[in-house]
Amino acid sequence: MSSHREAPEISKDPVADNTDVYAFVSPDRPDTVTIISNYIPLEGPAGGPNFFEFGDDVLYSIYIDNDGDARPDITYQFEFSTQVRNPNTFLYNTGTIASLDDPNWNRRQFYDVTRVDRRKGSTVVGKDIPSPPCNIGPRSTPSYASLATAAVRDVASGETVFAGQRNDGFFVDLGAIFDLGDIRPLQNLHLIPTPPTASVDTLSTLNVHTIAIRVPIRMLTKDGSVPTDPLSSNAVLGIWAGAGRRKVRLTDGPLQSGAGPWAQVSRLGNPLFNEVIVPMGRKDEWNAADPDDDKDFAGYVRQPELAKLLPVLYPGAFPHLAGLSSSRDDLVAILLTGLPSGIVPGFQNFTGPTLADMLRLNVAIRPSASPSPLGILGGDLAGFPNGRRVADDVVSIELKAVAGATYPLVNKSYIPDNAVSAVSEYLTPAADRHQSAFPYLGLPHDGFSTPSP
Amino acid sequence: MSNLSRRSFLKGAGLATGAAIIGASPIAASAATEEAPELVAHPSALPKDPLVAYVRDAQKSEVTVLHGTDEVTYRDPALTKRLLKAAQHGRRKPGEVA
Repeated sequence: MSSHREAPEISKDPVADNTDVYAFVSPDRPDTVTIISNYIPLEGPAGGPNFFEFGDDVLYSIYIDNDGDARPDITYQFEFSTQVRNPNTFLYNTGTIASLDDPNWNRRQFYDVTRVDRRKGSTVVGKDIPSPPCNIGPRSTPSYASLATAAVRDVASGETVFAGQRNDGFFVDLGAIFDLGDIRPLQNLHLIPTPPTASVDTLSTLNVHTIAIRVPIRMLTKDGSVPTDPLSSNAVLGIWAGAGRRKVRLTDGPLQSGAGPWAQVSRLGNPLFNEVIVPMGRKDEWNAADPDDDKDFAGYVRQPELAKLLPVLYPGAFPHLAGLSSSRDDLVAILLTGLPSGIVPGFQNFTGPTLADMLRLNVAIRPSASPSPLGILGGDLAGFPNGRRVADDVVSIELKAVAGATYPLVNKSYIPDNAVSAVSEYLTPAADRHQSAFPYLGLPHDGFSTPSP
Repeated sequence: MSNLSRRSFLKGAGLATGAAIIGASPIAASAATEEAPELVAHPSALPKDPLVAYVRDAQKSEVTVLHGTDEVTYRDPALTKRLLKAAQHGRRKPGEVA
């Protein structure tokens, strides 16, 4: 979760496995949008001597649709290359890494950024930008914050970029939810009950590899404007990310090469879509597909499996949900079309009738001064499912929605079960999981002290 | 043929190492001995047991063929020429994802 190891094939290919996508109006730069795309699920901070890195043979892409057809109008592509200073040592670093060009750092990564405009063509906007090292420990990376800050780069065309290791800001009780849908501390109410215990923040000591880009809003909207009317169709951007590998890969001894076009192996828009909505037999297919083909998967949104399971797993707790057999048009709106105007006062993120899994961000909604982790469900229009911020509690939001909390949006006579209010992850992430400035995810845990000795 | 990347093909050939690939069924391979290549708009589904041929070294006309668990490399100027010509038809836009 939200897309960590969510499909059979991509779970075997961590460097291309997109774990989370975030898109929000930057709280400290509200004339910009920040988009974050994370890879490499469940990074143990002590994972040396070959510490985690991006794939040189992977094309990482961030897509923006600004005209509602679920096809990318703007694409940012990130391609990495690795340089080894001294191949005759097994060490990642031969001393303290004090700067991004420190000769003690043996294995470095650099990346190019290309902006592809559907109408104007491709432009390389950044070349040979350094990634920071992984956070190893007090001997190797004692001033990690300065290394990470040095890797935040402004490019001439106006964007700000970062690519490197960060704290995985996503929070979920992974061990419970995949143990037959348990929700700690409500496990005493489960079909297979156990005594209540506190929920567990499974990812709290793990890292991830982050690609983050901050883009002026005017560089993303269809007409180059900075919309101020939330009800304007120009104000809504569709956003998702993906990773591709060359169609053919050749291995000959220690040598490897690839050929052919990039074939998409990972895709992510809304959190949990492929993980919880798409069935096992079609998850790999979904990862290879494009959002404008998502009508083929809409049936799983209209009749989500999880909505059928909850009344079974929690006997007697969801009688109204158990009797709900109609199409879940509330979930279709949230996940596949955006919410049209007239449902939530002063808000819409409708992109048209094309059914497509994308984050939908209304850039005319200003950042919230007091964000609610429950986003729109919590009365905060700047949060999920209006895009997604790093601290949004998307698991609780989506669990509540699937459990029926949002069905009254399309059928006012429906009364959600009382249990819906209790459906939650019951987690408050530690303060260092996120930060207030770009790239907004916290500094990565270091390998020496995580988990704490 | 439409799935070939001319850019990567030529790049690989220039480096004299394998980077140009053509995947085909045995039937398609035999057809390749006939007239000029014809673009296929809607290729067949990926076979379970593909035959893959690639130009290992264009200068030396070395072609490697892989089928099942077998691999053989031989010199075939005619096939090398045909593959290079076929690759020219498969040019994609830079960065385009299949």
